[in-house]
Amino acid sequence: MTTFAADLYLLVAAYGLAVAVSYAGLPVLGQGAFVAIGAFGTVQITAHGVPLGVAVVAAVALATVAGYLVGFAATRLAGAPLALATWGLAWLAYSALVLFPALGGGAEGLTRDAPAHLVSPALGLRLTLTPGVHVGIALVIDVLAAIALARTARGAWGLDLAALRTGPVLADSIGVPVQRRRRAVLATSAALGALGGAGTAVLLGVVAAPDYSPLLSLQLFVAVLVGGVATWWGPPIGVAILAFLPDTADALARAINVDALRARSVLTAVLLVAVLVVRQPLHRLLTRSSTGRTRAAAVAASVESDRGPDGATVLELRKVVASYGALRVLDGVDIEVRSGEIHALVGPNGSGKSTVLRIATGVVRPVDGEVRIDGLPAPAARAAAPRVKAGVARTLQHTVMLGELEAGTQVEVASRAKDRMPHGGVRELLATPRGRAGRTDRRARAVAALHAVGMDDRADAMTSRLDSAEQRLLQIARAAATGARALLLDEPAAGMSADQRDRLGRILRHLADRGFAVMLVEHDMRLVGRVADRVTVLAEGRVLATGTPDYVRSQPAVALAYLGSSAAT
Amino acid sequence: MSGGVVLQAIVAGLSIGAVFGLVGLGFTLVWSLTRVLAFAHGDIVVGGVLLAVLAVIGTTPVALSPDVLHSIALVVLTLLFGVALSTLSYVVAVRPFLGRGRRPDDLLGWVAGGVTTGLVIRTALAVALPAAAYAVPDPLHLDDIGGGGVVHLPGGGVVATRVFPVLAIALLVALVVDRLLVGSTLGRAMRSVAEDPDAATLCGVAIERVVLIAFAIAGLLAAVAALLVGPAGPLSVDRGGVLGLDGAAAALLGRLGSSRQAVAGGLVIGVAQQLVAVSPHLGAAWSELLPLAVLLAVLAARPGGLLAPREVFAE
Repeated sequence: MTTFAADLYLLVAAYGLAVAVSYAGLPVLGQGAFVAIGAFGTVQITAHGVPLGVAVVAAVALATVAGYLVGFAATRLAGAPLALATWGLAWLAYSALVLFPALGGGAEGLTRDAPAHLVSPALGLRLTLTPGVHVGIALVIDVLAAIALARTARGAWGLDLAALRTGPVLADSIGVPVQRRRRAVLATSAALGALGGAGTAVLLGVVAAPDYSPLLSLQLFVAVLVGGVATWWGPPIGVAILAFLPDTADALARAINVDALRARSVLTAVLLVAVLVVRQPLHRLLTRSSTGRTRAAAVAASVESDRGPDGATVLELRKVVASYGALRVLDGVDIEVRSGEIHALVGPNGSGKSTVLRIATGVVRPVDGEVRIDGLPAPAARAAAPRVKAGVARTLQHTVMLGELEAGTQVEVASRAKDRMPHGGVRELLATPRGRAGRTDRRARAVAALHAVGMDDRADAMTSRLDSAEQRLLQIARAAATGARALLLDEPAAGMSADQRDRLGRILRHLADRGFAVMLVEHDMRLVGRVADRVTVLAEGRVLATGTPDYVRSQPAVALAYLGSSAAT
Repeated sequence: MSGGVVLQAIVAGLSIGAVFGLVGLGFTLVWSLTRVLAFAHGDIVVGGVLLAVLAVIGTTPVALSPDVLHSIALVVLTLLFGVALSTLSYVVAVRPFLGRGRRPDDLLGWVAGGVTTGLVIRTALAVALPAAAYAVPDPLHLDDIGGGGVVHLPGGGVVATRVFPVLAIALLVALVVDRLLVGSTLGRAMRSVAEDPDAATLCGVAIERVVLIAFAIAGLLAAVAALLVGPAGPLSVDRGGVLGLDGAAAALLGRLGSSRQAVAGGLVIGVAQQLVAVSPHLGAAWSELLPLAVLLAVLAARPGGLLAPREVFAE
């Protein structure tokens, strides 16, 4: 019974780690540190006479803050450095417990009375925490965690996490607040880890450093990896495998005559190797089986920006100066993009087109000048997500897809940006009526955006089944679904055939007619000449000419920039 | 703290720091060529020397000074095992996760691969060498130099004689590797791969070979570090975990990817650690936590290393 309860508490910690690793794709190798904070924290705090319940809450809060701080540092710690930092954290926590007996109780560890009693005079409650009671408590937490994760996966938060997992830059470009989500994920992960640790400590009545070594972090990591990407049933399988580990390890320890802890690390290593070997084939197998799922959302399909084509200036760059280090890339650029209009931005390589996009979307700050959206100063944060909410979305030059998601879901992630309901994620988690309505509404917007690019029938297609033209169109659908009125498209026609370009032209016109302000960065001058209402020519960081395609073509300066001096004479 | 104690800490710190530097140099080299953080590097350090000890002396190493034949065998085998473990770690745990352009594309994959490699080395050794720690014989006989085993510094400090040859050998090896990276054709090939693997291929660089050689050099550096640090005190199988992170901290104190700054970072951390150890308020326990704390702090501030330029938001 005691062992079973301990395994269930371990599962709580594994669920916590699953949020970070298998849902958000963050390589966290230090869950053991947070488990240790929960375990040692609870014992240390109760030793000072604090009631048990309060101590557990305090220890969990401590770990949550620690997790949040790691998330805060992770602002700059995408990917690999985060793995290193959390691995360092696992060793730091373990070393501190070993090196400071006052903290970790030395080789003996710390002890407290077991079974513990939960006493509340106010409620007239006196509950003895037998292993049976622990099983009950842990089971409730586990089931709640499983339900929350299963609900989250297809809900608002799940969409954000899917975007985080695929790539922060893409997530940012379609309006997912990357840093905030990361901090929340790591804090949640740490809190559940500490909760599992606290439960185990109270259950066993003893905590000793060797049980909280980096090996624990690795074991939890492998338990979470077993289930693959974003599954609520993965952690139980992983923990079930881990549950057999001690017995098997003891048998192995007797057989080859080594220390039992050593035998555990041998088995953990074997497990890790096995999981690594089967991980990718298993993942391919699982994703293949899910392609058949169909989406039930037949909604009147029309994507409309909020106000229709009114000719208002949606995005405006005023006298923008930008430089990378000493290199001045933009030198006083003015550009206006209006609702209902397709505005092409052209210019030779290195003329500053991409920088205009980066300035407009906020990922690069101008040295001078200003960016206005709907007549208001644009959000100052050096990230794209706030700009998306304010009304400017872009596509990336490389077609970046949200890996393992269907086209329809990818667009749905983007339409999250338009969710205006406060606490939508919580509402969907609890499946309140408004939460459900919000989800239906979001799906409808996603379907509408797909319709706008003529891909209604591809909603269920996985990325791998889309050709390159469809991937480009999907990017446009994603940008349109964010609800931003200004769509900045970075070479959307790259790699398209002549027919596909015609179709793209019609789609862009359709979007403009619906009220979007479309800015088109494009090399194909035939496409630009055919669809653009206005053309701005950039050269060496300055605007050479702005006007109708015909006007711009007639300017000698433009021919000079494009064809060199010999053509102009 | 008296001046003598400070001087003693600085001298001892430079010596252990130079070893951190060698580990960090391997770490930074691997990162440059593959953009993979070598999670198993510390275990390769410990693994190389302990495997050699196993092969030459057996499962009950004694601190007796080995004779000439055993010494040579120990040195050669340590270097060999270091190189073998490092290249093997590349083939088994790094290469499968490299995607287009030879940059890692499966983050969870190579991270798990790295920690698994480390754990496999640690546990395999632990099965063969079950005691908590081992005295590794000194094949380089660094303690025999100068006779007495200790040197009295001005001001009253005392350090082991071996710290001077350790420092000298470590810096010499680092210098040779640095010259190799800067001056030779191989070094140019490595730097080209570090800069842009695709472009390097177009210029006719045999990437696979260059990367393998880089891992071999990292393994060689690990083995030298092991030969220097192993005999200095009892060596536990688990030491590799922390030693690898010490090296990472050294590499990150400069700009990740710079070999000279990795060595300098190691020296700084070594000295700081020894100063903390002799400080009356902090002491040995804090000194062991210092490199880990430095690692976390640097990563939080600048993940590309403390001296790295601020990254432009990559597209």
